[in-house]
Amino acid sequence: MRVVSKREEAPGVRTLKLEFLNQEHHEFFRNHYQTGMFGLYGIFGEGESTFCVASPETRKDYIECTFRQSGRVTSTLAAVDAGDIVTFRGPYGNRFPIEEFEGKNLLFIAGGIALPPTRSVIWSCLDRRDRYRDVTIVYGARTVADLVYKNELDEWKQRDDVNLVLTVDPGGETPDWQDHVGFVPSVLEKVAPSPDNTIAVLCGPPIMIKFTLNALEKLGFSADNVYTTLENRMKCGIGKCGRCNVGSVYICKEGPVFTASEVQAMPQQDL
Amino acid sequence: MGIQEQYRNEAAELLSSGAVKLVIGYGGGSTPDRRRPVFVRSAEEVSRLVLDSYCVANLSAYLISEGLLSDGKNVAVFLKPDGIRSVNILSAEAQVNPDQVVILGFNIEGEQTTPLPGRKAADYAPLMESLRSSGLSPELQREADRLEQMSAVERFDYWKEQFAKCIKCYACRQVCPMCYCRRCIVDVNQPQWINTSSHTLGNFEWNIVRAFHLAGRCVACGGCDRACPVNIPLRLINHRMSKETLDIFGHFPGESADQKPVLATFRQDDPETFIL
Amino acid sequence: MTRILLNSRLDDCLSAWRSAGYRVIAPSRSNNLTSFDEVASAADMALDLVLPERTIKDHFFPQTEPLVRYEIKKQQIDTEEMLPPDDKRVFFGVRPCDAAGLDIDDPLFGWDYKDQYWFKRRENSVIVTIACTKADPFCMCTSVNLGPDNPKGSDIMLHPLKDGRGWQMVTLTDRGKALLETVVPMLQEDAAETASLANVPVKFDVEKAMTWLADPANFESHFWKEISQRCIGCGSCTFLCPTCHCFDIQDEGDTYSGIRRKNWDSCSFAMFTMHTSGHNPRNTQSMRWRQRIMHKFNYYRGKFGVNSCSGCGRCTRQCPVDMGITETLQEITNTAK
Repeated sequence: MRVVSKREEAPGVRTLKLEFLNQEHHEFFRNHYQTGMFGLYGIFGEGESTFCVASPETRKDYIECTFRQSGRVTSTLAAVDAGDIVTFRGPYGNRFPIEEFEGKNLLFIAGGIALPPTRSVIWSCLDRRDRYRDVTIVYGARTVADLVYKNELDEWKQRDDVNLVLTVDPGGETPDWQDHVGFVPSVLEKVAPSPDNTIAVLCGPPIMIKFTLNALEKLGFSADNVYTTLENRMKCGIGKCGRCNVGSVYICKEGPVFTASEVQAMPQQDL
Repeated sequence: MGIQEQYRNEAAELLSSGAVKLVIGYGGGSTPDRRRPVFVRSAEEVSRLVLDSYCVANLSAYLISEGLLSDGKNVAVFLKPDGIRSVNILSAEAQVNPDQVVILGFNIEGEQTTPLPGRKAADYAPLMESLRSSGLSPELQREADRLEQMSAVERFDYWKEQFAKCIKCYACRQVCPMCYCRRCIVDVNQPQWINTSSHTLGNFEWNIVRAFHLAGRCVACGGCDRACPVNIPLRLINHRMSKETLDIFGHFPGESADQKPVLATFRQDDPETFIL
Repeated sequence: MTRILLNSRLDDCLSAWRSAGYRVIAPSRSNNLTSFDEVASAADMALDLVLPERTIKDHFFPQTEPLVRYEIKKQQIDTEEMLPPDDKRVFFGVRPCDAAGLDIDDPLFGWDYKDQYWFKRRENSVIVTIACTKADPFCMCTSVNLGPDNPKGSDIMLHPLKDGRGWQMVTLTDRGKALLETVVPMLQEDAAETASLANVPVKFDVEKAMTWLADPANFESHFWKEISQRCIGCGSCTFLCPTCHCFDIQDEGDTYSGIRRKNWDSCSFAMFTMHTSGHNPRNTQSMRWRQRIMHKFNYYRGKFGVNSCSGCGRCTRQCPVDMGITETLQEITNTAK
């Protein structure tokens, strides 16, 4: 795929917008991609790295991916420029069942670099805004600088039909920071909508997921109404290379999207 | 009282007195001639310990298990002279504190297993002195001579055939007390120094890199050679490096805990001929 | 009356198979190692072995395998898929455990996405198995509900004759029948007594062990730490296992061209599941050993209806510290209620 544009989101975090070079591949993607699925993005000579498709299923002309520069592949991906070619395998995995969310309130909760998978669902729903009721987005990052998709956060903030709650970890605020200061679970307890007829979508680092699930339980959310994504090291993406399983569940085939009750049924030591 | 009984009693005493928290020894294996490492934590369990001429593994590799010695408590371990040398090297390279290691030393000659006096690495200084004076294994040298007599091309072909068998299971590395790197160079990918693929070239890279890293550190315990599931004669390549460091630097690895690592030290009057 | 292949006619069969376009691969000894290699004549075969040290898996899922060749050019990247060759192969003198291993791995490589690198080789290969008349202390096929003459994964089964003159030949599949057709003149119809099969004692109760493994309460049992304490974390048990199939994908080459390869990888290695962030879901050796056992005797069965172990015993036979599936499942069987 060809890189159309590259955007600096936060220190070390970049978004690439990719367009298809091959009509057939694009057609396949159009027919198969649904929000929640992931892909393996690669550079020949360096390898492949797994992350979600950050663009929504309502916008299939291109693929956006957002990643933190940390390993060998992401360091190379971070250095590409518009016009360069990167590889994409996918879309793989399962999806958020967003048609089941219709007629319900939506609560999106994301931490740090985990906004991208959430953002794919958010736009997939916002692009069909009339099908859903109240939309609340709680997004936290370590510092103000670490918040990603700053333009879109502004856009959501302006919208009357979206309730955006931003927070940064204590010490991560700037002097002119107007929003919350505190960890996501505790902020969530203050701002969360009623669990009645509400679906929660939660993405974040393992530790945040753990505490946020506790908070949601305390707020009265049923574990069946909380969706999250799991990520593990992957090589093949198609259920063969044998490393992404949590207990008997292959994240690449049966995930990455799970309800909180499904996650609770997994062997916790394997997460 | 046989040596096995004697050492079981001693292990029981060390454990019940609290002198050590753990005894690493040998136990019966899945066939009559196999011994397996066992970990004994209480005096009641010492009957699991076996000591006889089948106990050839160098158990010092377990001393570098992550966190084992970090609580400052002592550990007893059954060691042959080669294992005692390993402890000295690990001490010299600041990987273990020799004061924490109680050595239940023994020697195997043919079918005979005899106890070695001394319980701390330093107690074995006279033994080390005699090992040094007897030099490298004449048995290994005989095997090595066979390779030395080959032409360079023949020798290269020989190793090519041997390394072609390698499957990169890294049993040689995992069983070796000298391979304590938290992240081995082959597992580093920024940059990717070494091909991870197990084709002949990648296998060459791995085996030669390991041989280099063992130069002047190998005590010829034979652990890698025995562990290798595809029977690569790793003892020969390591022996060659040992001979080199002995001939050039007079270095016999593991003589004492104060011995400086030969390839990590330099002298002002080193000739540095390799630069010119 | 059954079909008999005499030892003395084996070389004629080899010639016939070669003229029919087959390569013949059999257990052999070379460079102080026993493995499956292409052989020129019956004399090159090591049919006296209980089992070669290396498995037949090497020829279906090699330790390193090129997937794609790539060349990076200005504004485009050329790629070329490097599928294995179409050559037909006869594997002669396979043991039932190794043959079963192939059959066990088929559903994994065919799970939704059919792995051409595996199946192209599978479809072009005929497995001629020799039933075992001897076993060693590590053999454990009978413990995993297989046995010294189990047909799983074989196209032809040869039963050694009691007088040692050759083998009784039983075809099991169409592929086997087709291969037999090529050597009919070399066979004879005869009534001959076959040698008694190897006696492989049952070493553990696999059903009982599976029940114990399936109990979530045992996942965090102290047992796993105890049993794996001496594990050094090498990959020999996985790489010499006829069913272990985990792999890594690596690119190798210079800046502008190279090959993307599929390389064996092992759940024993700490790096196997390590996230870039440093988080490692299976960060101790006991978790990794548990994964291996659970994968073989719980997860795999749940997905594909079969345990991922064919009882060859190589894991124990080759383990530098004398561990292995047998001991672990024996211990589980002994302690499980």
